[in-house]
Amino acid sequence: MSLFGANTGFGAGGTGVFGNTTTDSHNPMKDVEVTSPPDDSISCLAFSPPTMPGNFLIGGSWANDVRCWEVQDNGQTVPKAQQMHTGPVLDACWSDDGSKVFTASCDKTAKMWDLNSNQAMQIAQHDGPIKAIHWIKAPNYSCIMTGSWDKTLKFWDTRSPNPMMSLQMPERCYCADVVYPMAVVATAERGLIVYQLENQPSEFRRIDSPLKHQHRCVAIFKDKQNKPTGFALGSIEGRVAIHYINPPNPAKDNFTFKCHRSNGTNTTTPQDIYAVNAISFHPVHGTLATVGSDGRFSFWDKDARTKLKTSEQLDQPITACCFNNNGNIFAYASSYDWSKGHEYYNPQKKNYIFLRNAAEELKPRNKK
Amino acid sequence: MAEGGDVEWELSKENIQPLRRGRAISALHQALSQQQDGLSSAIHQQRQAFESELRMYDGDDPLNVWDRYIKWTEQTFPQGGKESNLATLLEQVATKFTEEKKYHNDPRYVDIWIKFAENCPEPLDIYRYMQVQGIGVTQASLYIAWSEEYENQGNCRKADLVYQEGFKKFAEPHDKLLQFHKALQARVSRQVMMEVEEDDSDEEARQAERVSLADLKHRGKKKAIAPINRAGPAIRSISGGLQSRSTPVLGNASNSRMVIFDENNIESAGPSEHKLESWLAPPTSRAKENEQRPERWCDVKMPQKNKFGHTVMAPPPPKPSFQPFVEESDQPPTMTPCKINPAVNTVLSSRKPGREETPLKRLQEHRQQQKEAESGKLQEQSMYCKELLLSGATEFCFEELRAERYFKKMVPKSHEVGGQKDQPSASASN
Repeated sequence: MSLFGANTGFGAGGTGVFGNTTTDSHNPMKDVEVTSPPDDSISCLAFSPPTMPGNFLIGGSWANDVRCWEVQDNGQTVPKAQQMHTGPVLDACWSDDGSKVFTASCDKTAKMWDLNSNQAMQIAQHDGPIKAIHWIKAPNYSCIMTGSWDKTLKFWDTRSPNPMMSLQMPERCYCADVVYPMAVVATAERGLIVYQLENQPSEFRRIDSPLKHQHRCVAIFKDKQNKPTGFALGSIEGRVAIHYINPPNPAKDNFTFKCHRSNGTNTTTPQDIYAVNAISFHPVHGTLATVGSDGRFSFWDKDARTKLKTSEQLDQPITACCFNNNGNIFAYASSYDWSKGHEYYNPQKKNYIFLRNAAEELKPRNKK
Repeated sequence: MAEGGDVEWELSKENIQPLRRGRAISALHQALSQQQDGLSSAIHQQRQAFESELRMYDGDDPLNVWDRYIKWTEQTFPQGGKESNLATLLEQVATKFTEEKKYHNDPRYVDIWIKFAENCPEPLDIYRYMQVQGIGVTQASLYIAWSEEYENQGNCRKADLVYQEGFKKFAEPHDKLLQFHKALQARVSRQVMMEVEEDDSDEEARQAERVSLADLKHRGKKKAIAPINRAGPAIRSISGGLQSRSTPVLGNASNSRMVIFDENNIESAGPSEHKLESWLAPPTSRAKENEQRPERWCDVKMPQKNKFGHTVMAPPPPKPSFQPFVEESDQPPTMTPCKINPAVNTVLSSRKPGREETPLKRLQEHRQQQKEAESGKLQEQSMYCKELLLSGATEFCFEELRAERYFKKMVPKSHEVGGQKDQPSASASN
């Protein structure tokens, strides 16, 4: 524990807010708690885009709401606004100018929330709960992409009740990520589809899954020219695959690594394997963070293939994570992820969102 | 309307797999009309409902849901096939309750096992496994199905032995067992009569041809009476001729060292003798013939010289001394000449033996794993509700499980959610 003591400073003048951290295991990393967190499990987190001054964080939850906080430079968080769905919120994202937030819900709709007017309106409709929502900003168009358990991927221009385009998928959408001009959707039964978004969205390639178990989270990474070049895919069985779209040497460049497992394969006790709940890439260093059902987050350098850091264990799973636009803040949400079914769900348990200084810890080790 | 349906049923008769207990004509009509335009959303929804029920059930008879799901699947997918997921479901449910003693002689469970066995390449193995595990040993249906399988394979003696075993175990219902046993005896005696009457040379030739073409499956349970002896001289000559033509490398050169499998010489044990098998390790695959066991190569001496005294590395395959008869109207099959040396061809490599998996093998591996988990020998354990995610024919993710529970909770509480669902995009803005 003392090993990480030096790292708990947040931002420039963040020392003042640490008085309220307690010694129990809900916050073993002594990170900054976001005030008034959601009342149920937190399904998604997203920071405002770089076009906006300041940092705003949104988080969706199983209490049907989306909340927005302002994160001040000293690390203090101020709740700003909130919107409701008629079902649990499963995903949320920002528009590129930061004026709007898009939310996807189990009520089979997606909404556009205008932060200036604090008005929300429905912009999308599926036949099943919507699991993933992403904003696409192309030179010739901009739209919202929604992936649903009804096995379709739809594209919406926010003004029409009908989708611009609807693509059939072989299975239910479990997770997706978009970095123009690339989109990746991971589905049930280990489906993996890459879409290209130039001119108009179209299916680019279906990929045999590099993983043997159910897909759970996916995140696109970029190359040195800031172009999307591959993705990291996390499974429910403690493993992440790094996969390049067009690698010079597929056998060497693509690899998988184990994570979110209890230590020791050679001990007498069996190794416990946990689900990887979310993956997020650092916007500056290109390193990545994974969070798991075991209640830990880990930082990794995929190019050096090394682990940079693993956190202490929280008393609850970590369900979501994200970096802010300049990579100084790492936000992660501690709440129940349903990994052990409904018997282990305790509605009384408090949910938390923590903020951590990520400027130093995610630097690749041997970079000049 | 009904007439049109009848016609439709007539037109797609060959796509309907027979069911032991028959099919409801209404369900058949519905299924056939629906499946013309792909998997309809109604079927999809119903299946999803079953899938979620499997995971949400918390009463004391979980088999009930599975039973209804499987029966629904059989009725809804009359042509079977992969999209019905029937084989997966049967395997799942059979595996799931092997430890549940209370289901072992439950007629529903035994029926499921029999269906599972009929879907397997080696049903007899499954029946023996059931007997060893004590699944259905007091159920007449097990012995009937088992005996019919023996009968289909032409082994009427063992078919009869199976019934004897059933009587020994006092399988219920006794009347049914007795009735089927009598029917078997009648069929056997009739067959014997017919064989005496008929000229058997003609019969033999016909049978031989059937074997050389393909491995035929016996569909009709009651009427298909296969002859006991299939390995007549006609078969040998034909299969030998084929072999020397298609794979000359394996031909006569190594013939002297090859042991030819003759199923008539193998005195395989009757059902009662299998009781003592422990079934801890999966049985070696019985379907394979001429399997070569691994052996030390350094002990094997290669014949250095042939009778003329020359050193021979690879003797060329001797040409068959006869001209294969080709019918005049028969065109040679269009085939691309093979340019790749089969010895170094990695594209069409043979399937690795380790990958071969039969349902029974999987079943036993599963049991093995369970035992290891109980004794704490396992190397790894998943810390999530695996049995919930992977139950049934499709997988669920955590959020889907949670959403199901959420919807179940919400439906009785308020109808607002339901109303919203039914009218899409009606209340677009607030």
